[in-house]
Amino acid sequence: MQGWDVPGEKIEPTRTVETEKLKTELLTLNMGPQHPATHGVLRVEIKTDSEVVAHAIPHIGYLHRCMEKHSENLDYRGVIPFVDRMDYLGAMNQELGYVLAVEKMLGTQVPRRAEFIRVLVSELQRIASHLMAFGTYALDLGAFSPFLYAFDEREKILRLFEELSGARLLYNYIWVGGVWNDITADQLARVAEFCDNFEEELKKYDVLVSQNKIFMERTRHVGIMDADMCYRYGATGPVLRGAGVKWDLRKVKPYSIYNEFEFDVPVADGDRGATIGDCYSRYIVRMKEMSESVRIIRQVLTKIESGPIMGKVSKVIKLPKGEVFVRTECPRGELGIHLVSDGEAKPYRLKVKSPCFTHVSMLGEVAPGQLIADFVATIGSIDIVLGEVDR
Amino acid sequence: MLNLNDLAQFINSKVPSAAAKVNAAAEAVCDSAIEVAPASILDVAKSLKDNSKYPFNVLQVISGVDYPDHIEVNYMFANFDLNNAYEFTLKTKVKNKNDAKLESISSVYKAADWQERECYDMLGVTFNNHPDHRRILCPDDWEGFPLRKDYVVQKVYRGMEVNPDAKMNWGDREFAKRQEEITKAQTKASKK
Repeated sequence: MQGWDVPGEKIEPTRTVETEKLKTELLTLNMGPQHPATHGVLRVEIKTDSEVVAHAIPHIGYLHRCMEKHSENLDYRGVIPFVDRMDYLGAMNQELGYVLAVEKMLGTQVPRRAEFIRVLVSELQRIASHLMAFGTYALDLGAFSPFLYAFDEREKILRLFEELSGARLLYNYIWVGGVWNDITADQLARVAEFCDNFEEELKKYDVLVSQNKIFMERTRHVGIMDADMCYRYGATGPVLRGAGVKWDLRKVKPYSIYNEFEFDVPVADGDRGATIGDCYSRYIVRMKEMSESVRIIRQVLTKIESGPIMGKVSKVIKLPKGEVFVRTECPRGELGIHLVSDGEAKPYRLKVKSPCFTHVSMLGEVAPGQLIADFVATIGSIDIVLGEVDR
Repeated sequence: MLNLNDLAQFINSKVPSAAAKVNAAAEAVCDSAIEVAPASILDVAKSLKDNSKYPFNVLQVISGVDYPDHIEVNYMFANFDLNNAYEFTLKTKVKNKNDAKLESISSVYKAADWQERECYDMLGVTFNNHPDHRRILCPDDWEGFPLRKDYVVQKVYRGMEVNPDAKMNWGDREFAKRQEEITKAQTKASKK
């Protein structure tokens, strides 16, 4: 990378061959919409000078399903399955964010057991989502086997969720007032067993991928998004923490019962020769977050109380006239729900602030001067889910 | 905790034309906001970013809401600082719905670039001096603004029929209609 003279926008292709003058110009190339490295239907229009990206313009909207418009015609409970389908890899966290917004306006008291189960499933979902990010990121960079290891563990979480909710990806499990189904002692024991195994697995991933020479060379000093850039674009989640900012809503502004648990907020510290804010930093933040999630889950398992799992909610939910903006920390960043009610049984307006939408908008600034292969590494490192970008 | 009255006073002292006032929520559970005049939005954004008393370093989201007589554009600002974290919603009302115009603040907050594009795409608010003013989620030649309350889907797009009858799931529609009747009956019952 160092030896490349990075042209940026001022490219004046003036290469001449002795026998004939060859005209060279920038080549426009469409990455996507169907490209395995874009994690969904993202199209990036790139202008390349040989192997170097000179411009990149992300085009989104291929997965736009009018979720916000749909929700204006559904009752408050009916929106939950639609919220699932935004970020299909972190559905539990999305449900929690939406349900918290409704509950805030409704003033519902959620039973303690339901709160514990909510934290448990959202942390398990965070692990599952980060495992997916880890596996596919290694796949992007040409390593196949980490993907299989990651899916092996992820499968255990999905099996548990399937028993809990009846679905593997789109759960409709966290409801207004509590959760749909109680968790059994046997399932809790299996979660404990999973935690014990998973810590060993994390060590294996560290040796297999994180310390892998090729992987480090591909990701260190690549796609640097520093703290200033993150603030300008409003980036959150692992992207912001990868830039060395210790910002996690679960700590800063605890929602649900996150204030009762002890955990650290991992940030990038430039360990192992990485530049703060590069792809490796974002990757390593996710890996560390998984072990913090395990820590939270362990505390849930010891603290969980028995009792009801559903609070008192009227059959037809009607919210008071007004609006709220509720933020929660999802695997990919901060999810913001702006819910406007006019006093009827349907939302007047539901605006979702998607973290990935923000992160994709940063690609245009990061890309110029990168090799195409490094650009693929950058896209993978921000861990986008296009369902959430386009909604 | 951020005191909105103080902040509104602060905005007025910096930008007198803003006429900032606090829109207190009627219910305690809802959020209050500060409303400013639409013409002053760029100056307000500048003063919010570059000051030492209330520094807001992040624009989180721009959320437009369509009301019968105006379009309301909400700007959610926040300060991502561990020792001094706060956030608030800035509102502005665009009265003329047929020619809704606002000044773009993407020169101050880069995040506004895509957020304003989405607001334009969904609600038809035009942002002056925007660097790349295009639709973002819908195709560039799509007609109408989907999140307006009076939006009707166009019948034909590029020679293709939108929502052709043969591809509609009528069973679902009947189911939805039945659900609506049940909900109505339940609402009546709960009123009694």
